[in-house]
Amino acid sequence: MTMRTDAPLKTSGAARYGLDVTPPGTVYGYVVTSTIAHGEITAMDVAAVRAAPGVLAVYTPFDPLPLRTPMSPLLGETWVPLQDTEVTYYGQPVGFVVAETFEQARDAALLVEVTYDRRPARTSLHAGLADALDAPPSLHGEPPTLQVLADGVESIEDALAASAVRVDATYETATQNHAAMEPHSAVAVWEDGRLTLYSGTQGSDLQAAQLAQALDVEPARVRALNPFVGGAFGGKGHAGVSAFLGAAAARDLGRPVKAALTREQVFTATATRPATVQRLRIGADADGRLTALAHDSWSSTTATPSFVEPTSHGTSREWYTTPNLAITQKMVPLHVPPTTFMRAPGEAPGSFALESAMDELAVALGMDPVELRLRNSSIAPPGRDLQWSSKHLDECFTLGAQRFGWAQRHRRRVDRDWLVGYGTATAMFPALRFPCAVRITLRPDDTAEVATSGADPGTGLRTVLSLFGAEALAIPPERVEAALGDSTLPPGGMSGGSTATASVGSAIAVGAPAVIDALVAVATGPGGLFEGREVAYADGRVFAEGDSATFGEVLRAAGRDEVTAIGTSAPGEEMTKHSFSSFGAQFCEVRVHRWTREVRMSRMLGVFDAGRIVHEQAARSQIMGGMIWGVSAALHEGLEIEESGRPANGDFASYLIPVNADIPTVDVEFVRYPDTLHNPVGARGLGEISVVGVAAAIANAVYDATGIRVRRIPIVLEDLLE
Amino acid sequence: MRIELTVNGVAREADDVWEGESLLYALRERLGLPGSKNACEQGECGSCTVYLDGAPVCACLVAAGQAQGREVTTVEGLAGDGLDPVQQAFVEKGAVQCGFCTPGFLMSTKDLLDRDPAPSDPEIREALAGNLCRCTGYEKILDAVRTAAANR
Ligand code: FES
Ligand code: FES
Repeated sequence: MTMRTDAPLKTSGAARYGLDVTPPGTVYGYVVTSTIAHGEITAMDVAAVRAAPGVLAVYTPFDPLPLRTPMSPLLGETWVPLQDTEVTYYGQPVGFVVAETFEQARDAALLVEVTYDRRPARTSLHAGLADALDAPPSLHGEPPTLQVLADGVESIEDALAASAVRVDATYETATQNHAAMEPHSAVAVWEDGRLTLYSGTQGSDLQAAQLAQALDVEPARVRALNPFVGGAFGGKGHAGVSAFLGAAAARDLGRPVKAALTREQVFTATATRPATVQRLRIGADADGRLTALAHDSWSSTTATPSFVEPTSHGTSREWYTTPNLAITQKMVPLHVPPTTFMRAPGEAPGSFALESAMDELAVALGMDPVELRLRNSSIAPPGRDLQWSSKHLDECFTLGAQRFGWAQRHRRRVDRDWLVGYGTATAMFPALRFPCAVRITLRPDDTAEVATSGADPGTGLRTVLSLFGAEALAIPPERVEAALGDSTLPPGGMSGGSTATASVGSAIAVGAPAVIDALVAVATGPGGLFEGREVAYADGRVFAEGDSATFGEVLRAAGRDEVTAIGTSAPGEEMTKHSFSSFGAQFCEVRVHRWTREVRMSRMLGVFDAGRIVHEQAARSQIMGGMIWGVSAALHEGLEIEESGRPANGDFASYLIPVNADIPTVDVEFVRYPDTLHNPVGARGLGEISVVGVAAAIANAVYDATGIRVRRIPIVLEDLLE
Repeated sequence: MRIELTVNGVAREADDVWEGESLLYALRERLGLPGSKNACEQGECGSCTVYLDGAPVCACLVAAGQAQGREVTTVEGLAGDGLDPVQQAFVEKGAVQCGFCTPGFLMSTKDLLDRDPAPSDPEIREALAGNLCRCTGYEKILDAVRTAAANR
């Protein structure tokens, strides 16, 4: 197996992330944030700041850097800082101090005196449930409230009432922060009216486009670079305040500006996963076949509503066969930090509710939870005609149950002072891809380059580009160099939605034949090595009858520096023929301490049907990381927002994410069915499916161990006191 | 103030260092060694781990002035030529995703193996509990540490 091509640079300290470049003359910016959650800034006294050592500039809403609100088809509007005096959340960027050194800027920033006209802040999701608003339409363009009812059924209530067995329960999930290890940052350099921006983001072309709009410069004058990104998980889709302020200040000052958020600032000045409340009502017949499913969701969102966590549409809309389905999605605008997509948006918290409720149903029915899920597996989303292109969820469950020892679950209930429990859950995540362009270049030294502007935020895309390039050109991967993370390369779109592998793979599948055609034209054209002859390409060589040459030899003979072609692809006709999703079965064992009530996840297995697995090692590692995100959601992380709007635990000392010592054995298996109905390479993406269902599997295992049903994550000790 | 120290075996100096400045800042911004990362600046994540006179420290919590006259080793100086066996093992086992935590993990791992050439799994987990990784789920990191121990 080829090793990750980025690993040597990352282990030697040579990989350069956004903040790792320091052009000559660099000065440093520090963001000032609000200390109230709602109100208006009436004055900012910055006289002492300006007088502080090393300070070059102070920008505030009263002395702003001009920035326009960028709009992109994929991301919608992106908020730009300092353009007005409204404060709508605690920790909102309200100023920017630039000084010769970072410490001078930070020190001076402490001297900013802000006067507010305070207004009451709405910060409680619970308090807002009663007057919640309808959410905007879903990703599929479906309305927030929808029903699919069987013929003759008047309402979902009727269907529920007529069901032999019923579950009705309400679940809650916490606000979360992506907490990528690399804080959001940027280094901005202007030269001759051109901006070069070094900043970790999920798509350099999107970043460049947002910056160009915000700064009102021609797109061609902005180059965004992000060859290495220190994690993203949805939190680096939109360009961030460091990028906007850094770039605008660098233009204003004529000096390169470096700006990074502190970890504490990342918790408020970027964005979070909304908190949710979800009510599940499920009805089934005595055999466990669903007869009705109702999923009502409430999501927190920003004061001016923006992103809403689509928990109902992301799960109950599609997961199980049911003759009667009703879902609603509401939002509660609050004075809380911005909301945005975070790893498995909708599915991650939605699956906690749905898959906990399914477990409650299994208990009510006295049925094996695995059997219950197999019995209700869907062949298409309810009320839609398009069947799943390639679904092997049953195999995930049967294989997983066997491998995990699910049948033993009733045996060993107590191990010394630990109560042992088993839990399971379904995982699903839609298979998507985005429009994508990849350039393939053949070079005279018999190497090739595969290049796209897309990002590798740790997923392994760089390695995948080499592998796909090698496969399409039939040469060893060592001879294929990958280039990415540069907005001047063909637009590769965003690394998000678990799309990148399918997107680049599809584009390479188009680009490779095109570059081979171009090579053949060189070989057979005037002055070519095989001028006027019939040739064929195989394994990096051009074959004419009785003769052959490597592509490098062909290019050298023709005096060519390269041949190149760009392959583009986008989702198309396949979308009218099938529904597409990845599937998985999550199993876990927990131990709950009899006296302290501490919960430890002691064993976990995920079996996934995610199409073709392109790079085994990178795939396992990414899946495992995602499963640990699920553990984290269940047992560790949650951003607590105080009544005032201040996060109570917005730093790494108190926002808990698992460390090595929290994580025992994690097992991952794949059922390998390439989904070539979805895209020519058959891969469906792995970034998100892995987190889905885990929190429910853990809560279900906690119930199995203790008999206590916890309907709120993260689960804390108090929840388990008897 | 001026500081003089040895970094990765080379005598270095930096001028105009502010008293409150961290060693991490001095290494990254003044001495051109951005391998050590700043992910929290509060001693919680281990991304900034370097050796100060051979002992691992969070460079974000050490004042630059405290390094005066002392020896500092960063990830850039972990190996002579090529990669140290610990680095090699991280490459081989794919214990790297975004890589932002990696320099810190390497420093902590090498320190562990210097003290205990054959640590048990619980000892590894405990020794690396001060390093946060948001990407990998830790299994590959554990694999890499075991491999490094075996190969040294
Ligand atoms: S940056 Fe030093 S411990 Fe996190
Ligand atoms: S590899 Fe990304 S934080 Fe560890």
